[in-house]
Amino acid sequence: MEPLKIGIIGAGAIAQRNAREAVASGVARLAGVFDVNHKVARNMAKALSAPFYPTVESMLASPDVDTVLISVPHHLHRPLGVQAAQSGKHVMMEKPVANSLEEADAILDACKTNGVGLTVNYSFRFLPKIQKAKQLVEMGALGDITGIQILQHQYKDPGYWTGARSNSPDDWRASREKCGGGFLIMTTCHIIDYVHFITGLRTERIYSEYGTLCSPAEVEDIISIACKLENGAVGSLCASSIMRGVDQNEERISGTNGTMVLNEDGISLFSTRPVDGLKPGKVHRIKKFPDVSWTAEWVRDFATSLHEGREPAVSGRDAWDNLAFITSAYDSMEKGMAVQVPVLPSVTGAKER
Amino acid sequence: MQAEGEVARIVKDKFIGLLGAIYTRIPRQYRPAIKWAVFGVLLRLQSLATFRRIRKGRRVEFLDFDIAHLEPFETLEPDSRQILVESICSTVSPGTERAVLSGLPGARRSFPYEPGYSCAGAVVKVGKKVSEVEPGDRVVGRMKHTSFSVRPPGGLFKVPDGVSGEEASFMELGIIVLQGIRKARIRPGDRVAVVGQGLIGQLANKFARLAGAGRVIAVAQSRRRESTALGPGGADEYIALAEDSGALDRIQADVVIEAVGSPQAVVQSIQCAVPGGRVILLGSSRGIGRGVDFKRLAQDRSIDIVGAHISAMPDRESSPGRWTYQQEGELFLRLLAEHRISVSDLVTWRAAPSECNQVFETLAAGGAHHVGIVFQWKPE
Repeated sequence: MEPLKIGIIGAGAIAQRNAREAVASGVARLAGVFDVNHKVARNMAKALSAPFYPTVESMLASPDVDTVLISVPHHLHRPLGVQAAQSGKHVMMEKPVANSLEEADAILDACKTNGVGLTVNYSFRFLPKIQKAKQLVEMGALGDITGIQILQHQYKDPGYWTGARSNSPDDWRASREKCGGGFLIMTTCHIIDYVHFITGLRTERIYSEYGTLCSPAEVEDIISIACKLENGAVGSLCASSIMRGVDQNEERISGTNGTMVLNEDGISLFSTRPVDGLKPGKVHRIKKFPDVSWTAEWVRDFATSLHEGREPAVSGRDAWDNLAFITSAYDSMEKGMAVQVPVLPSVTGAKER
Repeated sequence: MQAEGEVARIVKDKFIGLLGAIYTRIPRQYRPAIKWAVFGVLLRLQSLATFRRIRKGRRVEFLDFDIAHLEPFETLEPDSRQILVESICSTVSPGTERAVLSGLPGARRSFPYEPGYSCAGAVVKVGKKVSEVEPGDRVVGRMKHTSFSVRPPGGLFKVPDGVSGEEASFMELGIIVLQGIRKARIRPGDRVAVVGQGLIGQLANKFARLAGAGRVIAVAQSRRRESTALGPGGADEYIALAEDSGALDRIQADVVIEAVGSPQAVVQSIQCAVPGGRVILLGSSRGIGRGVDFKRLAQDRSIDIVGAHISAMPDRESSPGRWTYQQEGELFLRLLAEHRISVSDLVTWRAAPSECNQVFETLAAGGAHHVGIVFQWKPE
């Protein structure tokens, strides 16, 4: 299998980490770096022994680059994603896929029209813990899913919003126009992705309340969501970036035959069924997981999917569904009512949008 | 002397109370391990003291509501008055076992609980003082869903030649139905309706026919168990109430066997009877019926209602209408040996013991289309 020749577009902190993991995956090599901040881009190129490109156009014109890894403020995902696809480059997009479903449509269409692959960095799916949880659900440990609860609380200091810690200071995270939203689209989107991945279910209806209570931003720093999944299961999500002193990340997935709790300690599982050699009727704590790089796994899967001509594990459609959940949550609050989560028309032929 | 006995009793009670107090102070998660360790040590001491080896097996246990699992267990080999029976086949009694599993009214038990009471097996060892059976005999009786049983031979029946372990394992269910059929006093040519088409109901179809019924009408909510009900020696007609709720008043049966065990089924059964007819309450009734107009339903139509639960069988003396457990068991086995009744055609699930979780999950959810479910412990 030919390694991916990855051009880095956007050389912020996450791009630097992703680039190193991509190289470590063994299926990719760095073929160039571009950033509007040339100093940062040059430093990264030098550190990773890759060529520096002064413009996006020059990188996209280069035959040495066949894939781009785009890690830029969200409002730039569409123009850069479309441009890369039109140049025949495969697209690896940092999450979320875009700021709105219209923008996401444009990226998905451009990739489809130009016959290039698209994946979005919901790589937490490749965490061994998440893979194990998915496997247990598929083995029937929970039976039919009846409920999900997501809790994610952190504290983001003012510097987070103003970009004080960034190598290219910018306050785009605080801007609704540039970021598309706040804590939900920026951080909780990962959990929304993997909870849907684990359950194999879509969310059908959403009602939300959110606010900006403590942060120097125009986007939300606290949000609460009630939702209904496609099989009738009921879920809730509470997330905030203003909880001082306590970091809380926990997901609970319950079903007719069991309950699973995912948190920093691993997985706690109760099942009425003997699944995976575990005795039914008691709580098992699964704490040990192999130490793998989830980002490298994401890159490896994308490279393999291109080689095998299949959809990547995190497809454009998955990213679209994730964005549909997030934008519906914002939509619900603005309308003051529950809203139906749109369905990707090309998938279902539905007319929800 | 009496005062000394009283003191000893008080000391014993205090000691047990103290142990209980200590046990309840142990964190809940450590209790099973401690219990296992204590009983393991005691069993080993007993083994050393009595020169009996410890034997390990597996048995079905209900760990909690709606959770069954195949659990390991160990016990001492038989003493001089006991025998060791290796199980061949055990039949699930769907109503009773499901009731315990799901905590239905009147069936509340503490967990873990070991279900099963109709099992056939092969005698492997006998104690020195046992004369009733010998190694190699096949026996059937009230044994649990377990790979082996150590017990006295009393209460077990020898399985006649020509009867398989699977057929014999229906014995307890057969006795339940036979004692009900006996009380039904079916006359040649009677119209007999059997309300409920679980295992008890479908066995009742067959015994009613054998007793001379002219027409056997199977009545159930749905058609999911229709094909076995209309099998060889079974019902002539199958009525699904979900499709035709008015059917009850048209059945007009001389004898009705109620084989569900719910207050609603009792009412339906009385409705099925012709004026002057007889209704046999065979199902283990769970729940309390309220708001029933017994005058219109039963009194005005001179319906005989006969209670026929296995727990009311006489132990020793029999009469024409009431045979003993022993007599009914011998009759059941004889009918099987003479091929006058068949039960294997009612088996819809021959399960490995390791499938017990799935079996009981299916039962807890209503049993689907299943009628007879047997655990196969070893090949015949």
